[in-house]
Amino acid sequence: MRRVLNTLRDGVGFDTLLVIVALTYLLLFAGLPLIYNVVISFQHVDIFSLGTLFHPSAGWENYTAIFTDPLARTVLVNTIVFTLASVALQFTLGFAVALFFDRQFPGAAWIRGLFLAGWVMPGLVVGVLWNWLLSGDFGVINYVLEALGIIDDPIFWRSDVDYSLFSVILANIWYGMPFNMILLSVGLAAIPDDLYEAAELDGANVWQRFWTITLPMMRATIGAVLALGIIFTLQQFDLFAAITSGGPAGSSTVAQYWSWQLSFREFDFGRGAVISVLMIVVVLAVALIYVRSTRAETRL
Amino acid sequence: MKRFLTGLIAAGVIAPAALAQDITLTMWTESSTAPEGVFAREFSEMDNGITIDVREVRFDDLVAETLRAFATRANPDIIAIDNPDHAAFAARGAFLDLTPYVEASDQIDMDNYFDGPRSSLSWDGGVFGIPRASNTIALYYNKDMFRAAGLDPDSPPQTWDALLEAARTLTDADNDVYGIAFSAKASEEGTFQFLPWLQMTGGSFEQVNGEGASDALDLWKTFFDEGLTSPDTLTRGQWDSTGTFNGGNAAMVISGPWELGRMAQDAQFDWGVTLLPTRGPDGPRASALGDFNLAIFANTEHPDAAFQFLEYADSQAERVWPEFTRMPSRKDIALAPTGNDKIDAAAPVFTEQLQYARNRGPHPEWPRISKAIQDAVQAALTGQKSSQEALDDAQSQIDRVLN
Repeated sequence: MRRVLNTLRDGVGFDTLLVIVALTYLLLFAGLPLIYNVVISFQHVDIFSLGTLFHPSAGWENYTAIFTDPLARTVLVNTIVFTLASVALQFTLGFAVALFFDRQFPGAAWIRGLFLAGWVMPGLVVGVLWNWLLSGDFGVINYVLEALGIIDDPIFWRSDVDYSLFSVILANIWYGMPFNMILLSVGLAAIPDDLYEAAELDGANVWQRFWTITLPMMRATIGAVLALGIIFTLQQFDLFAAITSGGPAGSSTVAQYWSWQLSFREFDFGRGAVISVLMIVVVLAVALIYVRSTRAETRL
Repeated sequence: MKRFLTGLIAAGVIAPAALAQDITLTMWTESSTAPEGVFAREFSEMDNGITIDVREVRFDDLVAETLRAFATRANPDIIAIDNPDHAAFAARGAFLDLTPYVEASDQIDMDNYFDGPRSSLSWDGGVFGIPRASNTIALYYNKDMFRAAGLDPDSPPQTWDALLEAARTLTDADNDVYGIAFSAKASEEGTFQFLPWLQMTGGSFEQVNGEGASDALDLWKTFFDEGLTSPDTLTRGQWDSTGTFNGGNAAMVISGPWELGRMAQDAQFDWGVTLLPTRGPDGPRASALGDFNLAIFANTEHPDAAFQFLEYADSQAERVWPEFTRMPSRKDIALAPTGNDKIDAAAPVFTEQLQYARNRGPHPEWPRISKAIQDAVQAALTGQKSSQEALDDAQSQIDRVLN
C-alpha cells in the first residue's frame, strides 16, 4: 500500500494519474460533445426533440441536403476566401508590425502593448464599430474615400453583394492582426542577436539576413501563428452577426455562420451539425500542422 | 391607514395570507420599457405576494433563445412573443391552454379582441395567450419636403404609381435625401414589410407567385434600381430606417405606430401619416398585423399567479396607446387623445389601417415560411434572380412546408 502511495507522490503512479486526469477531462468536455455532434449529424433533430436523448435516424439525408443546397457553393467559396484573405493579411501585416517594433526604439514595448487594445475587445463590440464605419450613407470610411477622391459614389459595404464579404474580411484583419503581431514578436525576440551580428560581419544585407536567419529561425512560430490564425478565422462569428448577418442574400455567409443559422434560426440541428462535422475535419487537419510545428519548437 | 398597514406588513408584524405565498415569476420580453415590462413592475409592487422578474431578450434572438430554453426546461413562466411565432409554441404544447382560466375570468373576455390578434394565439380550439397590443404599418411622410418639392402635403400618394412618382420627385441625392425608406431586411421584419404589397396583388403567404405578385417585388426593386431608397434598406431594420426619416435623410418611411413617440421628439419638421398606397385606385387594401402576445408556459409552477398578471395587463389596455403608442387589441377601447397633435392625427389612420391588417399564419412552421419569403425578396433585390423566379422558388419551399 505504502509503495503505491509512494509512486503516487513521485513515481510512475503520479505520471499515470496526470495522464488519467487529462484524458478524462478531454473525453468528458471535448470528446463526448464531438462524438455527439457527429451522431446528431445523422439524425433528425428539431427544437422540440432536442431535449430527448434519442432521435430518429436520418442516414445520409442531412449530408445530401447540405451538399445539394443552393447556398452550399457560395458558402464554400466564401469560407475559403474569408479564411485565406484574413489569415494572409493578418499574418503579413502582423509580421510587418512585429518587425517594426523589433527595432526597439524608445517606447516600442509600450506602443506595441497598445496595439493589443483592439484585440482584447469583444468581437461584437468590434463588429458594431465596423458596422458604423462601413455604413453606406453616413460611414466614415466612405467619407474618407470620397474626400480623398478615390470614389465618387458611396460604396454600400454591407448591402452590396460584391462588397459584403470583403467588409467582414476588412474588420477581421484589423481585429486579428495584433494577435499575430504579438506572437511573432515573441518569436523575433527569441532569435539571438549575435546571429545577426555575425551575419552582418560576413556582409549579409538586411534582405539576406531576413531570408536566411529570421524566417528559418521563426519557422515554428510561423507555423503556430498560421495554424492558430486559420482556427480563429474559422471560429469568427461575432463580426458576421454584427456587420452583415451573412447577407444580403447569403452573399457573406460562411460555414460557421451557416451552421449557426441552420441550428438556431431554422432549428434543423441535424444539418447544422453536418457543417460542424465538416469543419472539425478541416480544423483537425490544421491542428495537426500546429502540433507538428510546436514539436519542432521543443526540439530546437 | 393603508400606509400604516403596509408598514406593519413590511415590518413583518402581520403577514396576510396573500403574502404568505411569496411567488416569483419570470417573464421574458423584448424590452422592459414595453407595456408588459412596465405593467410587470407595477404588478410586482402590489400587495399580492407575486413578484415578476423581467428579462430582456433582443428581438432577433427572442424565439431562438426561448426555444433553446424550452428544450432544456429552463424557460420563463410568462413570455411576450411576436404574434407570428405564437403558433409554433402553441401547437407543440409549450404554452398553457387558457380556456378554463378565461372562462372563469371577470376581466378577460376573448370576444373583446379583434379577430386578427385573437386567431394568432388560438390553436386547435384552444386559447394560448392574450394580445398585449396590435400594430400595423402605414406611410409616414415629411410634409416640409413635400412642400419644397411642389407636392401637396395634404394629398399624399394613394397608389403605387403615385408613390413611385413621389419618391422620384423627393429623392435629392445632392442633399442626401432618399425618396423612401423601409426595411427589406432578411429577418421577420422584411417579411412583415413585404407581405402587404404582395397581398394587395391578391397574394397571400400561402400563394406568393400568383398573377401580379412579381409586380409587388418589382415595385421594391424599382426603388432600389433608381436609387430612390438607400441600398442599406436591404440590411436595415424598421427602427433604423425610420431613424433616417427622423433625421431628414428620407422623405417617406413605411413603419408602424411604435415610431410615433420617438418621431414626435426627434423629427424637426412637419410630418403626417397616410394609409399604405394601393396597387390600383380602389384597393384592395392590405397591411400587416404586428405586435406581441402574452403567453404562459405549460410547465409553470404558478399558472394562477401568471394568469393574474395577464388579467392585470388586460385591465391596463387603455394605456397602451397614450403611453406606448401601441394600439389596443380590444374593440371596446377607443384611442384616447395623447395631447400631441401629430400623434393624435395619426391615430385614426392607424385605426383604419388596422382593419386591413392580416395575420402571418398562424402556422407552427411560420419561421420557415417567412424565411422563404425573405430569401425571395433578397435574391430579387440584389439582382440574383428575377422577381418571378425568386417568388417561384419561394413558392416551392412554402409548398413543402404547407403540404
